[in-house]
Amino acid sequence: MLLLAAAPGATAADGSATDEAKDYGPFFEAEAPSDATFATKGRKGREPVLSVANGALCFVEGSWCKTSVLATVEVAAGMRVPASDKGPDMPYAHFGFRGGFAVRPLMFTRREWHPWGVGVIGSWTRGTGATTVVGGLDDQVIDETPRTDAWRVGLLNQLWLSKKPHAFHLDFTMGVVRSEVLTSGAALVGTHAEVAFGFGGWGSVFAGGDFLDQDTRVSFGFRGHGIAAAPIIAMVIGGLALGGAL
Amino acid sequence: MSATLAWLAAAALAPAPVSAPTDAAAPTAAPTAPADPDPDAAAPVATPEDVAPADPSADDGTDPSTTDEAPAEATPEPEPEPEPTPDSDEPDGTLHAAVERAGPPYYDESDMAALRQRYEVPDPAPPREPARWRCLIADPTCKINVEVNATAAYALRFQQGDVRMTGANRWNSGRAQYDVWANFATLVEQEGTAKYTKMTLGPKGGVIFSDNGDMWGNLGMAGRYWLGRGRFAPAIEFSSALAFKLGTRERDIITGEESFQMQRGPVGFTADVGVGIGGFGAVVLGGQYDSPLAREDVPERFRTSAAGMFFVGFRGNILWGGPAAAAILTHGLTQRLVER
Repeated sequence: MLLLAAAPGATAADGSATDEAKDYGPFFEAEAPSDATFATKGRKGREPVLSVANGALCFVEGSWCKTSVLATVEVAAGMRVPASDKGPDMPYAHFGFRGGFAVRPLMFTRREWHPWGVGVIGSWTRGTGATTVVGGLDDQVIDETPRTDAWRVGLLNQLWLSKKPHAFHLDFTMGVVRSEVLTSGAALVGTHAEVAFGFGGWGSVFAGGDFLDQDTRVSFGFRGHGIAAAPIIAMVIGGLALGGAL
Repeated sequence: MSATLAWLAAAALAPAPVSAPTDAAAPTAAPTAPADPDPDAAAPVATPEDVAPADPSADDGTDPSTTDEAPAEATPEPEPEPEPTPDSDEPDGTLHAAVERAGPPYYDESDMAALRQRYEVPDPAPPREPARWRCLIADPTCKINVEVNATAAYALRFQQGDVRMTGANRWNSGRAQYDVWANFATLVEQEGTAKYTKMTLGPKGGVIFSDNGDMWGNLGMAGRYWLGRGRFAPAIEFSSALAFKLGTRERDIITGEESFQMQRGPVGFTADVGVGIGGFGAVVLGGQYDSPLAREDVPERFRTSAAGMFFVGFRGNILWGGPAAAAILTHGLTQRLVER
């Protein structure tokens, strides 16, 4: 009977009605005084860094961005796998630039936050050259190219893993690549696919591949935002200039 | 305990105060309720005189309605409460129920201070001042930070020469490296209510330069173990990464002109360890190994030898300028002065 007297919705002895909702949170409007925190706090609120209109357009991707501009620099290494009659597998590496934009469509509706994003990217990379070894021992022909340039356009699908400002996210990219095939001198269009694991808009690691006729390149790399990479590019140019390379 | 439960149940369920003999025996266990100086704010008051004495003998085969006893199983276990403090203004034996605060927070700093005083816990040290530059320079008060580091180092380079002879070609050179680090706290310690990062780990990537236009890319992991909590606290830095050749400067055999050319090479690795001051700079010692490309199915002209370097130098955050200037200077001088 005592439990019944204290049941939700019952009337207290002094006549005031008890409110079940008051028995539940939020218990702390501010951080509890016993909670431990880092002295250097992260950004307050949901407005992403380097954004306008409360995340309507972000220049560094964030979990609360509705539209983001993508601008990154990357380095990657992997393998170049030609057709079996075109020569041996060879190491492959590239550096490059990538740009585009990403949109969180469902965040333009009534949803405040949604993990899905979609976008379009374009990239240019300069990679190590191709080699071909064709023919038998008597009529073997060996050829090479000094470099491999590639242009890509792809459709980006994102899955944000949390609502933290610089949350982790998975990026899946499918598209086309236009690049010179081995040592043929002919630029063909192939398939480009990539999966990346990103930390906000500041950086990501990725594994990707370009699949062209008789010429496959797979690579694993690191991609940094242009804001972080710009000082590096400036220092590299400064060093090259000081060294007389420019 | 059963006597206490029975007494509380009786107090709650009694339709009207029941007079008890003044010489009735006191409850066998002291009733528990926090003291409240404001009797108006207290919940319905029950005094020992209002309830019948709890007699365990009355539980056996007796109608509860006649003994004002409630079933023990219907009463919740009372929460442990502080001992009531005697109040000389109140009649002896008057009890007051605790009054919950109207809304959050349900406890504040004064409550925490009272708790510390009760258990003789010393006041915590005040937290350190926050880091500057929004954690773009590593600091123990940062949970996450992103930084751009530049390294300027002396390098002792070597490259395998004629495989029929032992030893390798060695020469003195320089090494300039530019990296982006993302650091995530993996060990956190606490002092009072302040958290401090003890160790960080995270991905890093960038480019490495040495003489004759040699250029490598690298991507890997970097970590930092803090030996203090101050802005200039010492720290041990360690990093390891896959390193792969991107290009070099080659001389055209016909024209004699030198130009930068992309150059392939298998993935090697680089690693270093350093002792630093805060996130500002560190003296580092490390090495790098370039795997050879020497398979039999690779034509002779495409093969490369095993190579590498040991290096000692200075690595630091570019935001304060020194490491950036040192790296650019090393980069430039290495190109001009070092001949392989």
